[in-house]
Amino acid sequence: MRTALAITSVELKRFLADRSNIFFVFVFPLLLVLFIGAQFGGGGGGRVALSGPDSSLTADLAAQLADDDAQVTTVTADDARELVARGRADVSVVVTDEAAAAYDAGDDVAVPLVVGNGAQSQATAQRVQSALDALALERGQLAALTDAGLSAESARQALAAADTALRPARMEITNVSEIAQEFAGLGQFDYGAASQVLLFVFLISLAGSTTLIQSRRLGVTRRTLAAPVTTRQAVAGQALGRLAIATTQGVYIMAASTLLFGVDWGNLALAFLVVVVFGLVAAGAAMVLGSVIDNDAAAGGVGVGVGLVAGALGGAMYPIELFPDSLRTVAHLTPHAWAGQALAEVQRHGAGLVEILPELGVLLGYAAVLLLVGAWVLRRSLARAI
Amino acid sequence: MSSDSSGTTAAPAHQGDVLVVTDVVRRFGDLVAVDGVSFRIAPGETYGLLGPNGAGKTTTISMVAGLLPADAGTITLLGRAVGPRHTDVKRHVGLVPQDLAIYPELSARENLVFFGRLQGMWGRALTARVDEVLEIVGLADRAKDATKEYSGGMKRRLNIGIGLLHQPTLLILDEPTVGVDPQSRNAILESVEALSHEGMAVLYTTHYMEEAERLCDRIAIIDSGRVQAEGTRDELIRLTGELDRIRLTGGGDVPEAAAAVRALDAVASADADRHSVLLAVRDAPTAVAGVVTAATAAGMTLDDVEITRPNLESVFLQLTGKALRD
Repeated sequence: MRTALAITSVELKRFLADRSNIFFVFVFPLLLVLFIGAQFGGGGGGRVALSGPDSSLTADLAAQLADDDAQVTTVTADDARELVARGRADVSVVVTDEAAAAYDAGDDVAVPLVVGNGAQSQATAQRVQSALDALALERGQLAALTDAGLSAESARQALAAADTALRPARMEITNVSEIAQEFAGLGQFDYGAASQVLLFVFLISLAGSTTLIQSRRLGVTRRTLAAPVTTRQAVAGQALGRLAIATTQGVYIMAASTLLFGVDWGNLALAFLVVVVFGLVAAGAAMVLGSVIDNDAAAGGVGVGVGLVAGALGGAMYPIELFPDSLRTVAHLTPHAWAGQALAEVQRHGAGLVEILPELGVLLGYAAVLLLVGAWVLRRSLARAI
Repeated sequence: MSSDSSGTTAAPAHQGDVLVVTDVVRRFGDLVAVDGVSFRIAPGETYGLLGPNGAGKTTTISMVAGLLPADAGTITLLGRAVGPRHTDVKRHVGLVPQDLAIYPELSARENLVFFGRLQGMWGRALTARVDEVLEIVGLADRAKDATKEYSGGMKRRLNIGIGLLHQPTLLILDEPTVGVDPQSRNAILESVEALSHEGMAVLYTTHYMEEAERLCDRIAIIDSGRVQAEGTRDELIRLTGELDRIRLTGGGDVPEAAAAVRALDAVASADADRHSVLLAVRDAPTAVAGVVTAATAAGMTLDDVEITRPNLESVFLQLTGKALRD
C-alpha cells in the first residue's frame, strides 16, 4: 500500500506543481461561481432601483427595503427604468418631489413603480409595497401617539420598544411554480458553486489524464515497473492519484466558495460524500482516457471537450430544472446530472443519506464500470510502455 | 572464450556470478528480437553489449531487469529467477534507461525520493541516501530546482543517480551517453568506472565502440538478436585475425630498413615505398621498439612512427558485414 501511496502522492504533487493549473484549478472556478451568482440572483429580497430627491421618504424607504434584505441601488429615474428594462433590477421606484413632500406632511403618498418581467419581479414589487405600508403605518402610529400627548421623542422610543417586544406574524408563501419551489431558499452563489464543483472535478480530472501518457512517454512507467513494484500496485497508485486530484479540486471549490461567497452546502459531510463519489467516476474516466490515447496533447483536447460537453449536458452550466423534459432525460446519461441531483437534494431540501442513496448508487455504478475498464486498459498501456 | 557452432558464446556458470543469462529468447509476433543470448557477469565486472540500434540490446536488458518475460531460456540474479512476477529480486537491480525517465515538474530531490520509496526506502535512511547520491552526481546545489530547468547532462546524471539510489548489486545502463555533450559523457564514463572499482556489477549497452573499449572488461557483440562473439577486447580482435600496423616515415635507406624489419619475429610483412615502410605486426606496442631499432640501424632516418590497431568496429564489420552505426 505504501508503494501505491508513493505513486499517488507524486501524481498529486505533479498536478499541484503544474503552474498552468494555478488559474484553471484555483482561480477560474471561483470566477465562474461569481459570474453565475451574479446571473442567478441578487439576494433573496429582490433588486430595487430607487431614485428620488434627498428626502426622508427616499432615505426611509431605502432603509426599510434594506432591512427586508432587498438589494437597493440608488440611481436617477432614467437609469432606474433602464436597469429594469435590462433585467438588472426587478423593480424601479421613483420618489417624486410631491410624494416626498406628502410623506413629510403626513398625507397620502403615491409612488410610481415599474415592474420588470423577471421571475422575482412581482415578489419584489410586493416587497416595495410592504415597505411603503410599513412606513405609512409607522407614520400613523407616531401621529397617534403625539396626538395623545407624547413628545415626538417619547413616541419614537415607545414604538421602538414595541417593535422589539412584539414579534411580527410570519407569512408562509407557497409558489405554485415548480421551478420557483426548486430554487426557493437557495443563496445567490449556491447553485453556481454546486454546478462548478461538478464541472471542474470532472474536467480537471480528464485534462489531468495527460500525466499518465507523459509517464509512459518519459519512460517513468517502465522505470517504476523495474523497481520492486507489481502492476497491481502501479494501477492502484494511479487510480488513487486520479481520485486525489479530483478530490483536491472538489474540496478546494467547496471550501473557497464557502469562505468567499458564503455558500451553504446543507449537510457538508453528505455534500463532500457526493463530491468524492463523483470524483471516483472522474478518476475512472481519466484512467480510461489516459490509457487508450498515447498522445498527451490529443488526450488533453479530448478531455476538455468531453468534460465540457458532459458538464453542459449534465446541468453543470445551466440548471437542469430548466431543461425541456426530453433533454432532461438525456442529461441523466451523464454522471453530472445524478451528482447534481444529489447535491441539490442535500443543499436545497436538507436531504439525508437515505434520500440520496439512489443517486449515490448510480454514481457508484458509473465509478465501478469506469474504474474496472480504466484498470484493464491501464494495465495494457503499462505493457505498451515496456 | 568459447563459441558454439552458431557463433553464440556459451556462458559457463561460475559460482559467485551476479547474473547468469542462459539461452534467452524473446519474440514479438514473428520477429525474434532476442535469439538464444547467453552471458554472465561477475561481481565488479563491467560487461558490455555492443551492437547497432535494433540489435536486441534493449530487449535483452528489459528481460534482465524483470520487465519482460523471456519466451525461452533462464535468467538468474544472485541465483534467483528474474522476471516480471519475481518482484523481490528487482531490489538488486538498478536500471538506468536510455530515456530520461524522470519527472520534469519535480526537483532532483523529489525524483530521488519518489524512486527511493518505490525501492522500499523511507524516512531518514532515504533522506541520507538522497543527499549522498546528489553529491555523487554533482547536483546537490541544484537539488531543489525543477529538473525541466536542467541541462541535458544534468538530467543524464540524475537518471544515473536514480539507478544507484538503492545501491543495487547489478547496475544496468542502457546507452547512458546518447545525446550527451563530451564533458558530461566523460563524467558519466568516469562514474561507471568508479562504480566498477567499488565492486558493482555493470551491464552496459552501447553502440559506441570507444565506450565499450574503455569501460568493459568483457564485451558481447550482438546483432540481429544473437551474440556474435564474446570476450575481452583483445580476444575479440584476435578473433578477426587482423594484425596491428606500424608505419615508419622518413628518409635514408628505406628499402634496406624494410628488409631489416621484415626479419624480425613479430613482423608478418613489411612493404616499402619511397619514404615509408608499412608493417603488419603482432602486438605493436611490444614490437615497436625493436622495429625502430632495426630500421635506424639499417640506415633509415625516421620522421614519424604511427601505430594503428584494429578495433571493435573492424571486429563488428568482419562478424556481421556491416558497420556499428548502420
